[in-house]
Amino acid sequence: MAITYRDPLEQLQRELDRMLESAFGSAGASAAGVYPPGNVFDTGEEYVIKAELPGVDPGKVEVNVENETVSFRGERTFDEPNRDVAYHRREREQGQFRRVVRIPGRLASETARAEYRDGVLTIRVPKAKETRPRRVEIEAD
Amino acid sequence: MCPSDIEARPKQKVERREESTRPGAYFHPAVDIFEAADELVLLADMPGVSPDSIDVNLEGDQVTIEGRVKPEDYEGLKPLHVEYGVGGFWRRFTLGEAIDREGIKAQIKGGVLALHLPKAERARTRRITVQAS
Repeated sequence: MAITYRDPLEQLQRELDRMLESAFGSAGASAAGVYPPGNVFDTGEEYVIKAELPGVDPGKVEVNVENETVSFRGERTFDEPNRDVAYHRREREQGQFRRVVRIPGRLASETARAEYRDGVLTIRVPKAKETRPRRVEIEAD
Repeated sequence: MCPSDIEARPKQKVERREESTRPGAYFHPAVDIFEAADELVLLADMPGVSPDSIDVNLEGDQVTIEGRVKPEDYEGLKPLHVEYGVGGFWRRFTLGEAIDREGIKAQIKGGVLALHLPKAERARTRRITVQAS
């Protein structure tokens, strides 16, 4: 019996796992040594760059699109509790971050958009016109 | 003061969830847990999780948090370069304190869950004055 995926996300997760495994040798994890890790997607018309940045003030994030690179930088800061507390666990980190992501294609940087929702930064950059897929009509008599 | 750079920590995949009913990958969220005199506060990084896709469950002395990401956020996206796996978040903690169930408050903003677990009256810290004889 063929396995069918009811959830398109599940299908994507399998593909991401496969790509992570071939790039870093471990499925499901993330690249070592870079913060925040970023994923680059292609929709045909545009490139979509996503990065997980929970708890960041979007006003403190700067996004730049230039030639074939998308870069973003910012700072993650927390409000410390203003009362006597004892920490049981401290795994979340604060500080500065900066990433430069190279895109494998030419970009129409003037129409790039960025949004921050639910702790995920999403940058959408349309492809330069000449590199977009174009349907060519066939002329016939 | 010059803030330092954030150190990258790889996402940890949850290998096995008990009573897993939903398909897909889940990760361990990074958490801060601190205790004040009257409550325990848990902060969890759950990027991509919106307020309507999070569950908090208290059963006995165990609290479980689970958040899901929206499949529609990834519709029509073909991955070109991948540095992190996408999925929900799941983690379970055993609480060392009796919690007042009615007073539990949870909110999620910017992908960070803030869970306030008020201590049951009898578990609150009492300052005991030692009297000199």
